[in-house]
Amino acid sequence: MTKAEAQRILDVRNVVKRFGGLKANDGVCMQLTTGEIRGLIGPNGSGKTTLINQVTGIYDVSEGSVHYFEKPINGLSPNVIASLGIMRTFQVARVFQDMTVLENMLIPALAQGQNRTRATQKAQDLLDFALLTRLMDKPAKSLSGGQNMLLQIVRGFMIDGLRLYVMDEPFAGVHQSIKGIIIKAIKMMNKEKNVTFLIVSHEMATVSSLCSRVTVLAKGRRIAEGSMKEVANNPEVIDAYLGGVKKDVVVEC
Amino acid sequence: MKPSHLKIASIAALVLMIVLLPHLISDYWIYVITIAFFYTIMAASWNLLGGYTGQFSLAHHTFAMLGAYGSSLLMVKAGFPFFLSIPTVILLTILVSAVLGILCLRVQGLYLALITWAFAEVARNYIRLDYMFTGGDRGMNTPLLFGTLKPLPYYFLFLIIAVFCIALIALVMKSRVGFYLRSIRDDPIAAQSMGVNIVRYKIIAFMLSSGMASMAGAFYGHSIGLISPIMGDFNEMAMIIIFVVIGGMRTQTGPIVGALSVRYLMELLREYAEIRIVILSAIVILVMRFYSGGLMQLWEQLRRWFERDADGPVSAYESSDQ
Repeated sequence: MTKAEAQRILDVRNVVKRFGGLKANDGVCMQLTTGEIRGLIGPNGSGKTTLINQVTGIYDVSEGSVHYFEKPINGLSPNVIASLGIMRTFQVARVFQDMTVLENMLIPALAQGQNRTRATQKAQDLLDFALLTRLMDKPAKSLSGGQNMLLQIVRGFMIDGLRLYVMDEPFAGVHQSIKGIIIKAIKMMNKEKNVTFLIVSHEMATVSSLCSRVTVLAKGRRIAEGSMKEVANNPEVIDAYLGGVKKDVVVEC
Repeated sequence: MKPSHLKIASIAALVLMIVLLPHLISDYWIYVITIAFFYTIMAASWNLLGGYTGQFSLAHHTFAMLGAYGSSLLMVKAGFPFFLSIPTVILLTILVSAVLGILCLRVQGLYLALITWAFAEVARNYIRLDYMFTGGDRGMNTPLLFGTLKPLPYYFLFLIIAVFCIALIALVMKSRVGFYLRSIRDDPIAAQSMGVNIVRYKIIAFMLSSGMASMAGAFYGHSIGLISPIMGDFNEMAMIIIFVVIGGMRTQTGPIVGALSVRYLMELLREYAEIRIVILSAIVILVMRFYSGGLMQLWEQLRRWFERDADGPVSAYESSDQ
């Protein structure tokens, strides 16, 4: 796909999330183009997880809207959003503890109506890639934290027609070698299947090597966007990480 | 003998034993086993909902009571024949369970238990209080399916229903629906994010499980001749949970083993009827604390102990990253 054909896959327009009186997100805008790997960074409590929960339907959108290939998806339930080709991972790996590693892999494929034999084959290939084949028939609860994260990530690749993969802290607390596999998987799926990624992470070095653009949130607002180099030198971003955010600093839509 | 031959032979032996057994024992024991079959259906179907899907319903016994009363009322008050009243009441209770399932959609664990328990109490008290219609606490005479109180035909009837229900549950759990139900129990949010329509399958679990309870209840009513609101007592629900927990929750054989063995134990403790629920409850506490997998866990450990030469233990924690 050439640059000219690249489409706007995700368009977050002035999204607000209220928890009672608290505004976790206060008019966030963000646009993703098909085939990009976008980083989403910001200090703790800046609204990153809230935003991706809104994109994937876990939270409602109090105001504003989320568009996926120009069609609004806010208000849809998470399983409908998943069926459109959007997968996600969670900060604390959410695997099905009492199911085996292979069964975990099959869930998204079966939910999509894939043939079980073919899905099993695909799962085995992915587990081979992730070096989890030996653990295939073990319950997920017997895996280490890093392996759980890895399983959670490769599980998302099981669906046919994956377009957008949203990851919440995929590198947090995982061993270097697992991190390597995760990065390899992201790069491969991005290159071969043109999957778009939105990655929340605190690991600046990894984000900088993986993502061409990053969006910076602070206190529920987008305060900067650009290449890692640009935002890293942005005084507002430095301020945000050190504590202070001026009210008027917002990158408008 | 090859293992498959051994399996076929043992199944054949089991079938032969079940068929021959009632000809060797007294009517009383046939009755006891028939009731044990009824509880097997109740335990296995509750396990589908409370075990596999994680919807800890406390109204399972209520659906059996509704099935029993519904079918008998349809016959006595509306003149339905058996072959119409039983399917009608099963369909009606499935509808009721769908409504209850919808009410329980947004709640989990304790709150779901409380809602279903409240529903169970409403249903039981309605049947107690509307005595002009239901006979209240005095109970209600029910038409007998085989026109006799002799237990032998009912033994085979409940055997067939139990086999049918257990096979149905096994089929469901092997199918993709079974995968969804287990994923919902483990993590509903993750299941939904992976594309599983948790609303639909939570309700389907309620409907399937309650439909089986209602079917068992309807036939139960038509086999004992007299039903009363005691069927809706919380004790009944407690017994179902005891069977499943002692047998082994979230296993397909556990509820069967649990219901049959605990019913047998209850018969042995018949002289101490007052304290047997105390004894059983104490067993549940011990099982939950020290052996949460129940009898099936014990069986699994014994099996592994015998087979350990063939396949040494492998720790899942040994892996490339550590």
